Amino acid sequence: MMDLDILKVRDASDVEDAVRAALAAGRPLEIVGHGSKRVLGRPVDAAAVLDLSALAAVTLYEPHELVLTVAAGAALTDVVTLLADHGQQLAFEPMDVRPLLGGEDAGTIGGMLGAALSGPRRIKAGGARDHFLGFSAVSGFGETFKAGGRVVKNVTGYDLCKLMAGSWGTLAVMTEVTLKVLPKAEAETTLMLRGLDAATANRAMTAALGSPHDVSGAAHLPASGLRGPCAGLAAGAATTLVRVEGIDVSVADRVAALRRELAGFGAVEAIEGEPSKAAWQAIRDVVPFAAGGALGAWPVWRIVCPPARGCALGEELARESGGEAVYDCGGGLIWLALPPLPDAGAALVHARAGAAGGHAMLFRAAAPLRASVAVFPPLASGLAALNRRVKVGFDPHDLFNRGRLHAMTEAS
Amino acid sequence: MSILMPEFDKAVMARRGDIVTALRAIVPGEGVICESRELVPYETDGLTAYRQPPLVVVLPETTAQVAAVLRYCHDNGIKVVPRGAGTSLSGGALPLGDGVLLGLGKFKRIRDIDFDNRVVVTEPGVTNLAISQAVAHAGFYYAPDPSSQIACTIGGNVAENAGGVHCLKYGVTSNNVLGCEIVLMNGEIVRIGGKGCEQPGYDLLGVVNGSEGLLGVITEITVRILQKPATARALMVGFASVEAAGACVAEVIGGGIIPGGMEMMDRLAIHAAEAFVHAGYPLDVEALLLVELDGPVAEVDALIGRVEAIARGCGATTVQVSHSEEERLLFWAGRKAAFPAVGRISPDYLCMDGTIPRGKLPEALARIRELSVKYGLQVANVFHAGDGNLHPLILYDANVPGEMDRAEACGADILRACVDLGGVLTGEHGVGIEKRDLMPTMFSEIDLKQQQRLKCAFDSGGLLNPGKVFPTLHCCAELGYMHVHGGKLAFPDLPRF
Ligand SMILES: Cc1cc2nc3c(=O)[nH]c(=O)nc-3n(C[C@H](O)[C@H](O)[C@H](O)COP(=O)(O)OP(=O)(O)OC[C@H]3O[C@@H](n4cnc5c(N)ncnc54)[C@H](O)[C@@H]3O)c2cc1C
Repeated sequence: MMDLDILKVRDASDVEDAVRAALAAGRPLEIVGHGSKRVLGRPVDAAAVLDLSALAAVTLYEPHELVLTVAAGAALTDVVTLLADHGQQLAFEPMDVRPLLGGEDAGTIGGMLGAALSGPRRIKAGGARDHFLGFSAVSGFGETFKAGGRVVKNVTGYDLCKLMAGSWGTLAVMTEVTLKVLPKAEAETTLMLRGLDAATANRAMTAALGSPHDVSGAAHLPASGLRGPCAGLAAGAATTLVRVEGIDVSVADRVAALRRELAGFGAVEAIEGEPSKAAWQAIRDVVPFAAGGALGAWPVWRIVCPPARGCALGEELARESGGEAVYDCGGGLIWLALPPLPDAGAALVHARAGAAGGHAMLFRAAAPLRASVAVFPPLASGLAALNRRVKVGFDPHDLFNRGRLHAMTEAS
Repeated sequence: MSILMPEFDKAVMARRGDIVTALRAIVPGEGVICESRELVPYETDGLTAYRQPPLVVVLPETTAQVAAVLRYCHDNGIKVVPRGAGTSLSGGALPLGDGVLLGLGKFKRIRDIDFDNRVVVTEPGVTNLAISQAVAHAGFYYAPDPSSQIACTIGGNVAENAGGVHCLKYGVTSNNVLGCEIVLMNGEIVRIGGKGCEQPGYDLLGVVNGSEGLLGVITEITVRILQKPATARALMVGFASVEAAGACVAEVIGGGIIPGGMEMMDRLAIHAAEAFVHAGYPLDVEALLLVELDGPVAEVDALIGRVEAIARGCGATTVQVSHSEEERLLFWAGRKAAFPAVGRISPDYLCMDGTIPRGKLPEALARIRELSVKYGLQVANVFHAGDGNLHPLILYDANVPGEMDRAEACGADILRACVDLGGVLTGEHGVGIEKRDLMPTMFSEIDLKQQQRLKCAFDSGGLLNPGKVFPTLHCCAELGYMHVHGGKLAFPDLPRF
């Protein structure tokens, strides 16, 4: 990264001033919290960095109301700890990108929402978007605006929270956000099947998710994807994992029922408590492809697709590229590590993911690669034009994170 | 009737004959309705105090027809109001006298039931309940359950981001929709999302949900379905004060229990409901709480015990637990019939829909009591207590001169109180015309302008459902919205700053 001016703002009004100055001077900004996700997306074309890390205050936390309002620059780890002290959590299990990307910082709440990287519990609890209740932000017009509120039931005006979630800092600079928080489960158990091929594993996960047993995690790690230690999960054998959470009696009840339902797929093992938590954290953070591990140098793709087709798609891509795939969300989320290819496999991955009704993002790759290939999926022309018009409605001069989603030539 | 609608465009009205002919060329046969007698069923929605016959009604059957109708209207500067079943309680589907009412009633087909991916792909005119019925044989259902579910359409649910009793645990419409097809005002067809859990690009699905017919016409929807919980049981708990009932709600939720549903009624609503359906409600209490737990049998039994203990700790005067499905349904019968029950004791009522932080329930009820006295109108309270969504029903008689205006003023004050307590104007019924002019109590001019810039991205001419949601109509140029043509900004050669 070249030497860029760093604008370290102290509060929301500083943010508005900085955006107005940038607007007047025609200097595009890179929006940064802790910088943990700067290597995601295309490299940004900016004249200055807007550093939000000093906006870290917790403005409101009412555990009984299940609501939290924090400044956008608050550290994700601090928030997770604060909630844990009250037996609560962000139920969508936000991913910690450190293992996969090799950084030292887990980032800020603003960055977490901007990237909307939800974890395994997404299948039951929804994603970051579904827990995002309200915010204040500065638009590319240099105006401070707010949307949403602090209550769960709210249809007053457009739901701009959803739009901001996963917008990669390209629409507005969030300064304060309100999130729904939920109690942690009292107990959890993970059932494991060993040695299933991917197609069978997909069927097992589909059976579990199609049952009334309220499964909160369903993942499959093929043997070849586990090349090193991974949260106590034995390397050398494919592992299919199904999690249930809740109060003790309920977990026991559902575990017993699921054992019966999964018996046809092979012997069912179980882990509970800490080992179970560790396994799901490793899945959430894609530890099999960790930066420091055997596949640490390979580019990694994140593919979302209809869950029942996930393993077929992943296997096909892995076979054709010589890569490795691991599966979360019952097959609906594929992490694919590919051996180095000139285009990081972009043409192949986008085409196959699209044909399967899904879409892919090049998640880990060196900057020159991210600058030269389509990191985000190409959109159908009508949808692309609509996305572009939405961007113009928030940031008409392309001040924020310019080029992060698409190269300028692609967008026009 | 204090809400002003945009002035009619006389030039458009004068072209009515041509418009009918042009629409008939797109939708043949009975799909175009213009006889004034036949327009009557369309002149209002669930907010029946407001009536307006549309210029003409068109009932297309295919997405291509919807696109052609919209393109024609776009090119000819004609306004369009989309309509599902017309059960909106905020006037969202109220026609415009100079506009085409586009009904989706013929989009009645479920296109795909995919149990492996746990989704249903459906046309927008299918009713909410019909989706659950279509998958019931395999033990599945569609979770959001507005009380109007036998009548309202899934398209209307998406447009209003409808909620229901079970949304406390399973989320509202937007949490349960994975994809849709929409037709923009210019006739362009755009597909958003699909059977996966995330969509590429911006989360446009998130803004289409709750867009109140202002962003596009929804022609297909992909919803998530769930397996029915193994069992459900309910508690019916009476309290001597609303404060005690409010405290109980806070303790249940704060204690980590998310019930399938948690509803509260006040004395007036309890009495009206009991007189109507004889559900066995206690009549000597100030507040009644219905708490439903659903899930595996062992879990439900355990949680019933915990909730009962919390309720007794909060000073409950009566606690009944359902021991059979009949008994559970009986507990609910009164709550489900609460609106019509109130309809029996008053010629007319207005149903409000504010949301407040749960902990402010007693305060909100106290304020509503004061307003009831101030305006001299009775107010019955029914609400989704678990998520703080209030439905005060303001009783009035439209035949008494001035009473309707008083009821509207009382309703507006109640909503202002909700905002004042940290809440919002509407939890599930939408802004429509009803709460349109109250938007500035919650949002600044800048907030509303930013919302309208989003509208510009979808409908730059402001022809789709104008006069709803936003108190002031701005044209997009006034909002500083720059026109983008074919993905390119106008004047691409000019410096970008
Ligand atoms: C007795 C009663 C009980 C109710 N209970 C509840 C409840 O518990 N929870 C709740 O949330 N609501 C409730 N409602 C309100 C209402 O049923 C919901 O808002 C419902 O979602 C409206 O659906 P509809 O098909 O009737 O839509 P309509 O009333 O026809 O339209 C509603 C809005 O959606 C737009 N629209 C409709 N279809 C489309 C489409 N295909 N594309 C684009 N825009 C469209 C219209 O323009 C309008 O703005 C209740 C209403 C009644 C009368």
